[in-house]
Amino acid sequence: MLDFLYQTGWGAFTLMLLFQIPFLLVFPYIVYRKCFVNPKPGNTNPRKMTRLETVWIVSAIALFVIVNLYSISYMPMSRTAATEKTAAVIQDVDVTARSWSYEISNRQFEVGKPVRFSVKSVDTMHGFTVYHPNGKILFNMMLIPGLEKPSSLVYTFTEPGKYKVRCLEYCGIAHHGMQDELTVVKSDG
Amino acid sequence: MLTATIRRTPILGKMFDVDESTGLSDINTWPAMMIMTSFVWLIVAILLGALMPVIQMAELDANLFYSAITLHGAALAFPFLFQFMMGISLHRSGGCMGKSASGKLTTLIYLCMNGGAVLLTLAVLGGLKITYTVMYPLPLVGAQMGAWSMNMVVLGFTGIALVLTSIIFLYPLQIIRMSFFGKQREELLLSARTLKDPGMLGMVMSVMILLVTGTPLMIVAGALLLALYGIVPLEAIAWASEPVVFQYVFYIFAHNLMEAMAIMVISAVYATLPLYLADGTRKLYSDKLANLALWILLVTSVTSFFHHFYTTNPGLPSALAYHGNFMSWATGVGAALSTFTILATIWKHGIKPEPGLMAILAGFVVYILDGVNAMVAGNIAVSYQVHGTLWVGGHAMSVLIAMCLMWMGVLYHHYPVITGKKLDKKLGSRFVTLYFIGAVGLLYSFAAGGAMGMPRRFADWDAGPDGWMMVGIAILIFGLFLIAGFVTYMQNFMRSRSIS
Repeated sequence: MLDFLYQTGWGAFTLMLLFQIPFLLVFPYIVYRKCFVNPKPGNTNPRKMTRLETVWIVSAIALFVIVNLYSISYMPMSRTAATEKTAAVIQDVDVTARSWSYEISNRQFEVGKPVRFSVKSVDTMHGFTVYHPNGKILFNMMLIPGLEKPSSLVYTFTEPGKYKVRCLEYCGIAHHGMQDELTVVKSDG
Repeated sequence: MLTATIRRTPILGKMFDVDESTGLSDINTWPAMMIMTSFVWLIVAILLGALMPVIQMAELDANLFYSAITLHGAALAFPFLFQFMMGISLHRSGGCMGKSASGKLTTLIYLCMNGGAVLLTLAVLGGLKITYTVMYPLPLVGAQMGAWSMNMVVLGFTGIALVLTSIIFLYPLQIIRMSFFGKQREELLLSARTLKDPGMLGMVMSVMILLVTGTPLMIVAGALLLALYGIVPLEAIAWASEPVVFQYVFYIFAHNLMEAMAIMVISAVYATLPLYLADGTRKLYSDKLANLALWILLVTSVTSFFHHFYTTNPGLPSALAYHGNFMSWATGVGAALSTFTILATIWKHGIKPEPGLMAILAGFVVYILDGVNAMVAGNIAVSYQVHGTLWVGGHAMSVLIAMCLMWMGVLYHHYPVITGKKLDKKLGSRFVTLYFIGAVGLLYSFAAGGAMGMPRRFADWDAGPDGWMMVGIAILIFGLFLIAGFVTYMQNFMRSRSIS
């Protein structure tokens, strides 16, 4: 479940709904009720209102904290650090982006073997986004030219297939054509 | 003369003809001029917005798509929405402080905003396709690659600099002047307010944010402009021409521009809601809670801009990424307090369901829905899935649409004072319904596109899975609802009748 929430676009959509649905139930209900059903001023006890205020704020903060705490282990920097500690070998791949193509030091990888992508741009802003063969985004990176260190993360492919690479930062009139492909094969071992 | 100019303007002049009999011209005429001009830009933005999905479906030229997206974003954000907000807020500020909203500074605000927007439009028509976020150093790289000429870059940058001068310096100075200096004129005082009032506090906070966070960008942009004009050599401003420097000062400002506009409009909600309470108390549930919400929004939003850079890791140190994540979600605490204040006020005092207020509340709903969208994307793990997709583009658009709806509601309230004419309730309700359906539909369509991995600012929707084009069709359909809402809003102004 957590993998879905923090590692897929539809998971993000679900997280969004988790907060929006309660709001959409409460806010329009109260507005509708006070507009059309019972427009008279409410006579709720001030103490009860204060309690409600506290419950509302504490619940919101608690939910915010929970969602973010659970996400820590899914943050690419945490994952990269964890993999760097445990993996015996990490395959290094250098990528240079320029309008409108990628120069990739290696385009073929093995399932289950961690790969460190170090990506830089040499002209303008570009993106380096890797898509699963099913169209889902696996990760994306923003590349600002001139940064001392290339954008970097470690990723381990879990399935063989052809993985599309796209630039997601608008980079001029042929931006939509800036694509490439990576191949992931089954591990020998 | 200005009143005559408004009156002589075809179609729109009839809508915003100022009522001179009230003696309030000093707080009405320039705001009316700004509001009227902003609607011209809105029409431009609407046509270009609708054109983008049509270009995709009809498989027209990608160049046309990128020109449309650049002009659509620029027209919508600055000469439409920001100018619309300036017009209403200058009127509000004048009426609440009893100070004139006219004068040389206001004239300059207007000329810089619209003159700059016209120059940028000419540059885009001349080939410059850089989106409204500039994407520096793309303007220079594009010129080097022959995609557009350096002359268009100079023209476009001059336009952007004028627009920014209006937003970052001139408008804040005018609001500060009206809030803190000058003599109060009794005849202009419509509803006296102090800075302790949440309705005024937010306005002053907003302009301070613009001034403080915008000044570094003006310094960098000014240096670049001097080099582009050939006044100083490019090497002499190497400190400013670094893409990293530009991107950071740009997002420090651009992120906070949106937050400032949000704080401004929330404060306008706080000022307007009490006027429509059923029991006539004209008081919020708690001014203290409302002010606390504004302070939390202010403090947390200023440094949450780091979320724009998560995916450059390690370019953005992890500590700053965590800080950005924390602050992005902390803005939600301010939003939760605002929500509670508004709901408790409605619950305690009841409301009169007038279209102006309903527009404000509907806009607030879209604002909160979009705020959640932004908070989710402000989580580092999620950002690696949705950054650069339609999700983020949808967030930027939805926050503008939400603020626009709230300001439209506020204008609905002030319109009779400015023009001496009243609006039709039925048309008002129809406008709110159509606009709200369009706004919510667009928000979810863009978010769904982002969830599917559909890139933003991307001129080939056919390149992806089938779902991408479906999202494009949904965007067009809900965009048409939005357009129908705008048309109904304008129709109401056209049909407005004199109060006397």
